Amino acid sequence: MLNSSDPLVRIKELKKYYRVGDERIEALRGIDLEIPQGEFISIVGTSGSGKSTLLNIMSGLERPTKGEVVIAGARLQKVKERRLSDFRRENIGFIFQSYNLLVQLTALENTVLPLIFRGVGKKDREKRGREILEIVGLSDRMYNKPNQMSGGQQQRVSIARALINRPKIIFADEPTGNLDSKTTEEILELLITTARAHHSTLVMVTHDPAVAKRADRSIHLQDGMIIREERYHHEENR
Amino acid sequence: MSKLDILLMAWQNLLRRKVRTFLTVLGVLIGTTSIVVMISLGIGLKESITQNMAQWGSLNQITINSFVQFDEEGKPIGEAKALNDNAVEELRSLSGVLAVSPGYEIGGEASWGRRQGYISLVGLDPSQMRQFEFETTRGRLLESEDRFNIVLGGMVGYNFRDPSKPMEPHDEIPWEDRHLDEHNPTIAMVDERITLNVRNNTGRERKFSFNVIGMIDPLKMDRSWNAYAPIEEVKDIRTFIQGNTAKNNRARTDNGYVQGPSSDDYNFIWVQSENIERTKDLSKEIRDMGYQAYSMADNLEGIEETSRIIQAILGGIGAITLFVAAIGIINTMIMSIYERTREIGVMKVIGATFSDIRILFLTEAGLIGLAGGFAGLGLSYLLSFVVNKVTANMFGPGMGAEFAISMIPPWLALFALVFSFFIGLLAGLYPANRAVKISPIEAIRTS
Ligand SMILES: Nc1ncnc2c1ncn2[C@@H]1O[C@H](COP(=O)(O)OP(=O)(O)O)[C@@H](O)[C@H]1O
Ligand SMILES: [Mg+2]
Repeated sequence: MLNSSDPLVRIKELKKYYRVGDERIEALRGIDLEIPQGEFISIVGTSGSGKSTLLNIMSGLERPTKGEVVIAGARLQKVKERRLSDFRRENIGFIFQSYNLLVQLTALENTVLPLIFRGVGKKDREKRGREILEIVGLSDRMYNKPNQMSGGQQQRVSIARALINRPKIIFADEPTGNLDSKTTEEILELLITTARAHHSTLVMVTHDPAVAKRADRSIHLQDGMIIREERYHHEENR
Repeated sequence: MSKLDILLMAWQNLLRRKVRTFLTVLGVLIGTTSIVVMISLGIGLKESITQNMAQWGSLNQITINSFVQFDEEGKPIGEAKALNDNAVEELRSLSGVLAVSPGYEIGGEASWGRRQGYISLVGLDPSQMRQFEFETTRGRLLESEDRFNIVLGGMVGYNFRDPSKPMEPHDEIPWEDRHLDEHNPTIAMVDERITLNVRNNTGRERKFSFNVIGMIDPLKMDRSWNAYAPIEEVKDIRTFIQGNTAKNNRARTDNGYVQGPSSDDYNFIWVQSENIERTKDLSKEIRDMGYQAYSMADNLEGIEETSRIIQAILGGIGAITLFVAAIGIINTMIMSIYERTREIGVMKVIGATFSDIRILFLTEAGLIGLAGGFAGLGLSYLLSFVVNKVTANMFGPGMGAEFAISMIPPWLALFALVFSFFIGLLAGLYPANRAVKISPIEAIRTS
């Protein structure tokens, strides 16, 4: 069992290589990182620096080449491929840059999709879906399909979907990358407050320095290595 | 993931591409319809032929005749064994034989009251009559103690007429309706006496009288024109007819047939078998023993063979169509997975298990199969109905109400549904496996 003083994420000497033809691409070249529970951490870096790769490995979507990744007490290398989906469902919420909602489903159905995979009954899951959609400010858009919503609204649905399982940790890969500055601010605000309200750890990739500064801590990646780390103190965050 | 959710999701996914789903279902529909209609034709054909043949003679009865055919010089062609009591014993000992009766057959003028007519008299072992599926509509069958009693075929009455009257009432009734006639004159003969007038080859005449104790169903075509009496009585009549001449050599008859080696030999022997399957084999066994055996079931063999071939050809066409339909399902599913790669990736990221994905796609494929099965079964019932209507009109109402050339028994309907569903599932196996193998990050990366 996870001790409350243990970090939620512990990464040691993580390396990830890709092989493209005869060439070896070193996406991650030795990452050491610990993330305590409830922290909001931002990962910044230029395009191609390895931010998404790091996030995908932490969420069990990709296997590391070398090194150790322990998330919520689970040593990810040891988890079997077919068990990883259970692991993700129990522990992780995921927010994409391009929302990735299912086009044929309504906002409510998209939101409760993780609960459907969990086998939660229709009544229960829709009740929770409505509550969360209300929190993200979409009570009047529950039955809209993705193509009937703005980018900001779609990202709100995707946040609701990530939160519905009360995950221990939320990964967001450039969640405001497709949004204008005003919407970016709203979504960021929503993400931070809801993650905090759910006591979820938030790991967010961004290349916007202003966005990165909203975090408790910021990690700077370059060529697959952490080159710098900054801590920020926000009165309103604590 | 609950079964209901999977079903709903699969259903919604199929509705997303209505035209494509419809076309794929159409393939299964055509395949299922071909198979069902074809099997139904096979069943119906065999069934109605069996029913029709049964009207012309029991399918359980084998008749062994003593007739030997002769060539132009008067020498017998081939050999026929004598039909005597040894033969009866030999036949009785065969397995699957329920009853054996030897018989004589004679014909002669007869009178019934004032009416004159002709009667074809068959002598049988009276104790065996019931075994040979005789059924009376009036009176009773012969029993072992019966002597000068007689049972008439259902149409025998039509052979008699009063010479003083130019018309009988039944003359008005067309021939094809006579077996249904409520005023069948045979009915009136029951419990009356008929007298047979015979003349032997020396010119002597003698009368033999019989009490009519029963009448057989006129619908039994093969028995409706004969009269049945105990064998001993018929033998006596026969002996009288033959006089002295019969004792020394074979009596040649008008039609070129000559009776067997001894004048005491029976004209025929009937063998009743336990069931139709056994009849076919028995008939052949008896022929192999050197008898001239014949059974309605012999024809059945050929008809069944034809029916089997038709079924095989038609079923083959259906199988090919269904095979093509299955390829259609595979194609549709693969296209669908290709289009939904990203969606499958997202579902995996947010917690869909391998088995969720597999079952979802198997369900979609199975639903296509089942939908095609239901639609195909509906169409099959319709086609079957039309085919039966058309053939019934073609062959006329004489075939009876039961006549149906295409029959879909419940087992066939159930089989069609289960089969099409499994075709769908089977076709879905490969696509579902492909969907399971989709890597979530790669799926998400493709935009
Ligand atoms: N599946 C892959 N195959 C080959 N190279 C990859 C793959 N995924 C990522 N890379 C490479 O790894 C490096 C890091 O990529 P990524 O983590 O996506 O960067 P970021 O998210 O910081 O822009 C890049 O050079 C990228 O081209
Ligand atoms: Mg990236």
